Amino acid sequence: MFTNLTKLNLKDKPCLSEAGSPKLCMKALPGEGAERSCAYDGARVVLMPITDVAHLVHGPIACAGNSWDNRGARSSGSQLFRRGLTTDIMENDVIYGGEKKLKAAILEIAQRHTPKAIFVYATCVSSLIGDDVNKVCEEAEKELTIPVISVNCPGFLGDKNIGNRIAGEVLFDRVIGSGDVSAEKIPLSINLIGEYNIAGDLWGIIPDLKHLGITLQTAITGDAKFDELRSAHRASLNVLICSKSLTNLVRKMEIHYGIPFIEGSFYGIHDTSETLVKIAKALNDPDLLERTLVYVQRKEDETRKTIAGYRKLLEGKQAILFTGGVKTWSMVSTLAELGINILAGGTQNSTPEDFQRMKALMDPSAQIIEDTSSAGFLKIIAEKKPDLIVAGGKTKYLAHKTRTPFLDINHGRKLPYAGYEGMIKFAETLTRTVLSPVWGHLRREFPPKEGEKND
Amino acid sequence: MKTCTKATTAWLNSVEYKEKNFAREKLVINPAKACQPLGALLCALGIEGCLPFTHGSQGCTAYFRSTLSRHFREPVAAVSDSMTEDSAVFGGQTNLIEGLKNAYALYKPDVIAVFTSCMAEVMGDDINSYVGLAKHGGAIPEDLPVALGHTPSFKGSHITGYDTMLKALLEVLATPRDEDKINDRLYVVPGFDTYPGNLREYKRVLKLMKAPFTLLPDNSDVVDAPNLGTYQLYPGGTPLTEVKDALNAKGFLFLQSYTTMTASKYVDSQEVPVETIPMPIGIKGMDQFIQSVAKFTGLDVPDEITNERGRAVDAMTDAHQYIHGKRFSLFGDPDLLIGLVSFLLEMGGLPVHIVCTNSTTPFKKAMESLLASSPYGQDATLYANKDLWHLRSLLVTEPVDMLIGDSHGKWAARDADIPLVRIGFPITDRVNLHRSPIIGYTGVINLITMIANTFLEDVDRNSPEATFEMMR
Repeated sequence: MFTNLTKLNLKDKPCLSEAGSPKLCMKALPGEGAERSCAYDGARVVLMPITDVAHLVHGPIACAGNSWDNRGARSSGSQLFRRGLTTDIMENDVIYGGEKKLKAAILEIAQRHTPKAIFVYATCVSSLIGDDVNKVCEEAEKELTIPVISVNCPGFLGDKNIGNRIAGEVLFDRVIGSGDVSAEKIPLSINLIGEYNIAGDLWGIIPDLKHLGITLQTAITGDAKFDELRSAHRASLNVLICSKSLTNLVRKMEIHYGIPFIEGSFYGIHDTSETLVKIAKALNDPDLLERTLVYVQRKEDETRKTIAGYRKLLEGKQAILFTGGVKTWSMVSTLAELGINILAGGTQNSTPEDFQRMKALMDPSAQIIEDTSSAGFLKIIAEKKPDLIVAGGKTKYLAHKTRTPFLDINHGRKLPYAGYEGMIKFAETLTRTVLSPVWGHLRREFPPKEGEKND
Repeated sequence: MKTCTKATTAWLNSVEYKEKNFAREKLVINPAKACQPLGALLCALGIEGCLPFTHGSQGCTAYFRSTLSRHFREPVAAVSDSMTEDSAVFGGQTNLIEGLKNAYALYKPDVIAVFTSCMAEVMGDDINSYVGLAKHGGAIPEDLPVALGHTPSFKGSHITGYDTMLKALLEVLATPRDEDKINDRLYVVPGFDTYPGNLREYKRVLKLMKAPFTLLPDNSDVVDAPNLGTYQLYPGGTPLTEVKDALNAKGFLFLQSYTTMTASKYVDSQEVPVETIPMPIGIKGMDQFIQSVAKFTGLDVPDEITNERGRAVDAMTDAHQYIHGKRFSLFGDPDLLIGLVSFLLEMGGLPVHIVCTNSTTPFKKAMESLLASSPYGQDATLYANKDLWHLRSLLVTEPVDMLIGDSHGKWAARDADIPLVRIGFPITDRVNLHRSPIIGYTGVINLITMIANTFLEDVDRNSPEATFEMMR
């Protein structure tokens, strides 16, 4: 009935509490209010951006009703992925089982919505009532001409990270290399893994790759088309952008398809350049490396020149940084580029490596946020009195109540921050956030104390 | 929603496709309802010092909080006991007891509102006895009120969950009715209402009437808290003393018919005078509210109210030509739909399609009789238990001038190339709409402003120079 966790090899990297790092993968304590999402959400995050397929949730209304079209992943083609499809399990289905309904739903989608494939998500309820989503998908597939792929990700399996990995397994087992595709490697081609095209991030990276003559086989899974994903094994190199979520996938691709992988980030000038150079080196092409070195130098100079005005306005500001994954460390140097110092940094969904990298980049006096609950977050704001907070949307309105400027760098944002272009957008948005006149109105005492001018 | 080719779009917009789409039974596409525990959470936020607590898988709560936060643009405090695979095997007892203990220690609530999500309900957790164990074992104080609501997502919708939680809170918090201790207050229950602006308007009008009252529950200061520089975990809500005294009320006035059915039955069973009226949207709706308050309290309607009503009907006459004869599609919760349709009929607007995902038989009857009562209701059809993909088919095959509903309707409106006026929940792509009331006489003026000006804006942006005019 349940996903076999040992089979998923989730324990390949034990979440040790390494020296000086908080317990990053610790389970949420009951009742602590840390607002973590679930394995189902984690799987949706990874797979939902695949654009020309249907995503069907076999669950009660909560699971799809609260998550359809909620991520801000963008598509240059089909918008089918944004359609909210669910079997809407009701009481009768709980009693009598929902397999027949699921099968009918799959057939209906295949017939009327022309998807390239159908991903079917199991949920807490479908798993608990014993619906065999795998079996139904297999049966439906026999009647159809498209793949019907079951994603066994009931929320109760645990945190988002587990769902990310389950999605990685699904991609490896059912998508990559499947179908009638060539195995021949494409020279100078890469996959960007863990890049979900949130707010169009991917489109800020592609121009640089194109200019250098690097072929993007596919992003996994931002703006991805199903057929391009199937040929992901033809890439010469995997570039892992979001290091926490899909490490299992790149490792397996290395073993089975001989694709080496590197880690990188496209947030900030420094990391973008470093990643492009790393890609050029890993692709082992001296010409490419030479043009990349020249290119990144030029782009760095241009970008720094463009953001110089913003840097002048932001220099010396003090920030609290709270995010996850690659942004944990990449944002440290991005903020440093703008002259912003980090008072305290923390993370919830990151690997110990991410964390150690962040720590190494921060000023030694910067505090590590251990308590990631709302209470802990408020305490650190009160203690540090930062000029700004850079974090995910969950803490946005909490930060506003403390009258602190806040910039959302996770999926709630509407602007792309990746690549050199993204850095300019980031600098501009951050400046507008920090220098907004609203903070002045908020902080002004009213009614004014005697003797003070109410200006 | 565009899918690659023009041929597909043409097919999706055809009458033939509409018929096939309406034959669909096993699949929901673009749902227009939320789940029970979300409603329970919103209800619990309206009680002073109350911490909403989900007994279930942790992802549920993260979804509720983010959905509510995106609508209100406010932090939403709630916890979960994070049930996992272990709990699926051994039951949720340990999680619930540990969760109550941690939540109490961390957040010091005066009341905890426990409601379930699916997992606990499929397993049949006996939450009542678990809470007992938590108290006897010292995880939480014996005298800490804990309300319990069974709210699986596979039954009902957010409005059912609201109802269940409200009844549970009254059962735990309110002392039994004592005929010697009847208070002079009218208890006014707004129902599942995501407009703090509505709640503030009820309070303003009741104060103008000089009616002693309690709004129960009242989340206006919680989901629309003033920025005073520090975050308050419990910034407001109906005072506990008044909740405690609820069953000694002079009377209960329920302002929605389909979101408080079991709660109102419960209050009625406790010998408290109860009246349920439709959500006071539109002139007639608000008239009924004022008259009910006057009847319960024995108070006269003050001149200020009469003048406000006068201004609202004046606004209706100023704007009737922009709405009379226009065709509308609407979707949303039953009470909202009754109110909005009733308002449109007052203005001579023509409701054409009414889509209600969480429809019930009594609602269907009420809507049909409302439509039958007006010459402007004759073109309308109620589509019960349909979704926004059905709505899309309706909009492209039987065109209307405007869609009214929450932000989820923006795809269908875009495909049909008509404006969407955002009313309902959630509204995640416009600011401040939840702050301005749609109920009462003020609401009449606001609704006219939104609907008529949207049409006029359209005319100004699209009219050729020859008909582009200063006056409209």
